Amino acid sequence: MNRILRIELRRSAAIGTAVILLLVGAAVLYGLPDRWAAGWMPLAMMQREYLILLWPAALAAGGWQARREHRSNVAELFASTARPRAQRMIPTLAAMGIAVAGAYLAMAAAAVPYIIDTANYLSPATFAVVAVGALSLVAAAWLGLAIGRLLPSPVTAPALAVAGLGLLLVIPTAVLHREWLALIFSPMYAMGQYTDYQTVAGRVSSAQVIWLIALAVAAAVLLASGSWRSRVAALLPAVLGAGLAVLIIPHDENVANPVDPVAQELVCASGTPRVCISRIHAGLLPQFVPAAREALARMAKLPGAPTAVHEDTTTYYPATSPAPRPDTLLISVRVDKGGSLAHPQQITTDLVTRAFRGSNDCDKGSEAVSRAAAFWLLGTEPRTEPGVTEDPDPNPEAVKLWQGLRQLPEQQALARVSAVYSATKACKETDGLLTRSAR
Amino acid sequence: MRWLVLYLRSRRIPLAVAAAGGVAALMWSLWSLFSNSRDAGAPMVILTVLLLVAALTASLAGPDDALERTAALSWPPRRAAHLLAALAVVVLLLLVTLVTGARFGPAWLVIRDAAGLLGVTALGTATVGAARAWFVPLGWTMASLILPLMGMGSSEVLLWQSQAVDSKPAAITAAVLALGGLLAYAIAGPARRAPAEAAL
Repeated sequence: MNRILRIELRRSAAIGTAVILLLVGAAVLYGLPDRWAAGWMPLAMMQREYLILLWPAALAAGGWQARREHRSNVAELFASTARPRAQRMIPTLAAMGIAVAGAYLAMAAAAVPYIIDTANYLSPATFAVVAVGALSLVAAAWLGLAIGRLLPSPVTAPALAVAGLGLLLVIPTAVLHREWLALIFSPMYAMGQYTDYQTVAGRVSSAQVIWLIALAVAAAVLLASGSWRSRVAALLPAVLGAGLAVLIIPHDENVANPVDPVAQELVCASGTPRVCISRIHAGLLPQFVPAAREALARMAKLPGAPTAVHEDTTTYYPATSPAPRPDTLLISVRVDKGGSLAHPQQITTDLVTRAFRGSNDCDKGSEAVSRAAAFWLLGTEPRTEPGVTEDPDPNPEAVKLWQGLRQLPEQQALARVSAVYSATKACKETDGLLTRSAR
Repeated sequence: MRWLVLYLRSRRIPLAVAAAGGVAALMWSLWSLFSNSRDAGAPMVILTVLLLVAALTASLAGPDDALERTAALSWPPRRAAHLLAALAVVVLLLLVTLVTGARFGPAWLVIRDAAGLLGVTALGTATVGAARAWFVPLGWTMASLILPLMGMGSSEVLLWQSQAVDSKPAAITAAVLALGGLLAYAIAGPARRAPAEAAL
């Protein structure tokens, strides 16, 4: 059996399929690395999203391989042998399955070196997400084999690819807002990332595994069967699997985009002052901590100065946000396409300016005043963040106020800046606090 | 006339044209059934053109090309005529839909993509053989449709299939591919195959 499998691996479309899938997969992964550079789960989910290309390709590969006997004109010869058809099909099924699953895993492996230094939170759900992706390709290749054998035409394989692509594109609208239904039947549904903390629920992955195994079994039965009666019997595992998957999958509304609370949990750096970052970003701590501590040191002179920096782990869908604390500065952490901290030189400035901007539900306070105060603490001239345009631009006004502060004696300027900080925290007007002496 | 009938039979043209007609009818009915709009969406049109081209690709090689080459016939003009006829079949099949309830147009998009994709498939036939010639047009067209959705690539030259009708770079790419394919296939003919695969 092993010898036959080895021959089949060499002589079938298996190797070509694996190489094409791997090349396409690696090319699209590295085409936009910032979509998955944040960690292992983002990588696994992005890989699943790219099934939009790989899944139809695996279908077509199966359809192409199924025509081999027809192409080589040996169908009649093989039919005359005493070996049962099912037995002859097993090596082909195994070879194609190994090829597509291997290509999917190799595609993941190709992305590993890129983020291995920065990603260090590996949740068990990640393996389930990858396994479902590999299994979906096996089911696609086997389904392609079965259909290709039933319809041995040169158009079958390209038509299968187009049909697969159309199916994946149509499923999200065809299910009419029943997201759980789309999740079962489309292996790439809801794999886009709103936040880095996103995950796939265990019960969703289990339902997908059940459906895909059922589909693969149905395809194998269809391929191996010689009579119409057993071909109809192939419907049975497919129907059973679909029914079981529908029973298992949760039917609530947020089923498609759950947040992993463990990935979102804060991990703190050793030493004081306290600097914490979500677990999925914990690999960025060495870059993040010095910048955050510098911001705290700059603000230490203020009354009621903050003593800690936390990552802002707010998510919008589902809505979760950390409880506001007066002694803690919050900042959202972004990962750049290389997997390291995005805009590291901006962190200190961002933290201090955000502290002077007040909370989101307070609409008092002047942008120019808070910016001048923040930049006085930072010791640099106020400037607009690159890529940000505001109308009207508060920066010239901020620069004027900042120059006024610089001409004052240190103590007096600090008193005015402190007044702005206190007013911001209490959500009061800050206009004029930098130009008249503190009361 | 006798020659033409024999040629059509040896290339299994009736089968290929029937397959193309079937594909066109299928896509046309899908759009008529499931859409309220009269004009088929651009992805639907592009994929239909792709499938028609794939259906006609099989006719680009005969059962025994080595034997054909020995004939004292001038093959290049005949091969070129074959490709042009294939283009006419694709374009005509879809132009007919313009007077029906599900229009697969605009005509220029159909002509550009059909010509370009036939060029690619003809290049494939001349290099890897007709049986494998659909690989590149299929993969390229799928990438051209999907990559912009993923936010990857906006090159009008590389993703020519899915560009708007008035895109000049896309038209030029399609023209270059069509001309290249026509020349390569007309001059070189279908790639020689292993004897085991001689009968497609």
